[in-house]
Amino acid sequence: FTEMPTQNFVESSFWNFDALFQPQQHPARDQHDTFFLQDPAEAPELPPGYTTKVKKVHSQGGYGSQGYKYEWRLEEARRNLLRTHTTAASARMLYRLAQQERFSPVKYFSIDRVFRNESLDATHLAEFHQVEGVVADRGLTLGHLMGILRQFFTKLGITQLRFKPAYNPYTEPSMEVFSYHEGLKKWVEVGNSGIFRP
Amino acid sequence: MPTVSVKRDLLFQALGRTYTDEEFNELCFEFGLELDEITSEKDIISKEKGEDRAKGASDTVLYKIDVPANRYDLLCLEGLVRGLQVFKERINLPRYEKIIPAEGEGQRLIITEKTVQVRPHAVAAVLRDITFTKERYDSFIDLQEKLHQNICRRRALVAIGTHDLDTISGPFTYTAKAPFEIKFKPLNQSQEYTASQIMDLYRTDSHLRHYLHLIENKPLYPVIYDSNGVVLSMPPIINGDHTKISVNTKNVLIECTGTDITKAKIVLDIIVTMFSEYCEKPFTVEAVEVVSPNGKTHIYPELAYRKEKVKPELINKKIGISETPSSLAKLLTRMCLKSHVIGNGNNIEIEIPPTRADIIHACDIVEDAAIAYGYNNIQMAIPKTYTIANQLPLNKLTELLRLDLAAAGFTEALTFALCSQEDVADKLGMDISATKAVLIANPKTAEFQVARTTLLPGLLKTIAANRKMPLPLKLFEISDVVVKDSNTDVGARNYRHFCAVYYNKSPGFEIIHGLLDRVMQLLEVPPNEENGYTIKAAEG
Repeated sequence: FTEMPTQNFVESSFWNFDALFQPQQHPARDQHDTFFLQDPAEAPELPPGYTTKVKKVHSQGGYGSQGYKYEWRLEEARRNLLRTHTTAASARMLYRLAQQERFSPVKYFSIDRVFRNESLDATHLAEFHQVEGVVADRGLTLGHLMGILRQFFTKLGITQLRFKPAYNPYTEPSMEVFSYHEGLKKWVEVGNSGIFRP
Repeated sequence: MPTVSVKRDLLFQALGRTYTDEEFNELCFEFGLELDEITSEKDIISKEKGEDRAKGASDTVLYKIDVPANRYDLLCLEGLVRGLQVFKERINLPRYEKIIPAEGEGQRLIITEKTVQVRPHAVAAVLRDITFTKERYDSFIDLQEKLHQNICRRRALVAIGTHDLDTISGPFTYTAKAPFEIKFKPLNQSQEYTASQIMDLYRTDSHLRHYLHLIENKPLYPVIYDSNGVVLSMPPIINGDHTKISVNTKNVLIECTGTDITKAKIVLDIIVTMFSEYCEKPFTVEAVEVVSPNGKTHIYPELAYRKEKVKPELINKKIGISETPSSLAKLLTRMCLKSHVIGNGNNIEIEIPPTRADIIHACDIVEDAAIAYGYNNIQMAIPKTYTIANQLPLNKLTELLRLDLAAAGFTEALTFALCSQEDVADKLGMDISATKAVLIANPKTAEFQVARTTLLPGLLKTIAANRKMPLPLKLFEISDVVVKDSNTDVGARNYRHFCAVYYNKSPGFEIIHGLLDRVMQLLEVPPNEENGYTIKAAEG
């Protein structure tokens, strides 16, 4: 797995949400969950061709999808924020991969800080670290995803795993990974995953 | 993740069998739901308000089930039961029918162009000859609340109003009027108020005050009248008392108004499909004709059934299984997506019911097939992708440095990247604008106003919090700071900084000097003026 460059805490809503098919009216984009920036408030540059494609898929559909059918606004995508997940960096990498002349399979990873606008308590911090991995190749299946996750967690010493269907705006199918915690005597969620939507 | 609270015994009654808690947990897990909590009303009140307030509250066991955010059809008991029964193949998915009344007999809702400025869209439908019980009534009200919170984005996109059709007579008009022109008795109030008075009345109401801002500053407020001038509701705030429904209501008019027509249609479809079960003719809905300002008429609810074709190989390939087309069709039917094999067995035709507005791409169908198959039944494999592993040079250097700094006797600290304005400016004797710091618009506390431009405040705070530890304290951190930069596409960038602090009873400049020399030695930077490093006195 190759490490991704993630040295930007400040991200535009475009890369953090819109390019990941998260609708502009989604609750996670609320004031309550995301740190929006006062200064710099808006991203001066967004990739022009790609932005048009993203707008179309949200509002009308495309690539086999019905889309969300709402009015997609550019100003909303420009809003700067402190990234809420490192998937924003993954989106940038996948975009760069798509610009290549010939497709080459890749495996990316990153471990870096993310920010969520939450009140601090015993299990929540406003900033924490996320471990993220992406595999891109032809002919990958859900079974492969489960295989990689199983190997990853085994290396961390977590062997009892179960997968549960879940929902993310940008992956379908999605799975939450649960592991049995001996101390708590119950299944706890240890990860989230999915196959990116076309 | 929205949570639906259902009474366990009602649930089991509707499902036709009882489960132990573990069995039900398993069932939820398979289906993609999460049994979050098993509690009772008494427990809830105990936890929130204390044991004595809980006396006399009901002991009936409640299941709190977490539902995926995009499954609007599972937000009430009726929907959950239907979904689970079809999943377990105990019933077939019912077919929802809309009945178009004969000419002149159906209800009509006329939208005037005055609503365009404030809340342009409206849809409506009628549930005819419905029978409510206390539980069904509560469920009906609950579903509206859940939808409001969820897809309606707290009533901003869509607002739902339900009315006793027998208390009013159509045709109905959806228009907008100035606040002082609107006067009616709101739900559960004892007298009439004008719209402006209603705004004031609910300013302190813990529930409704959050919605006032949606129309408060508009010149015209939306309002729905019947043919006799009776106010049905003033969306999105409150319905009229005149049309309130009760357990005895037999005919219900449902209207959804809003700023997003797609969502309004989905919301209407969900409500009527869920509760048409209790109509005299189950799963039928009476259509309403809606006339828009330009004269066009639409029949609602849409209750559209969409047909999609998906190749079985695609489904098998994406999941990593190999099922026959007919068994795939059976799996999908279990997920409320009625399917059958067509064309010599190399294609599957799927009918997407109006309750599954979340299916917008073939990959959604693939996911449902995988869920029905059982995620944990899928064979795990490792992809045969060959790639060369690589660490980002910046991170590799950071890791190496960290090891050596620890070897030099310093302890690593990991501090917050967000801090207050004073931390980066005043406390360091600098002006905030000179720091080029990135400012946050909506911090929850003053501690998170800016993204740090230097690692120093974080380390100093760490020392302050650990004053009681044995001295000396030698801390370092190598981490990112954020500064504004107009050359990047977002307007800011991260820099990797290294900071070290020495804290003891006597100052130890030589310790830090020594550390700096060691680091430069490791980085092979010579101590000379031109192409190396030197130490200069700095201000502050």
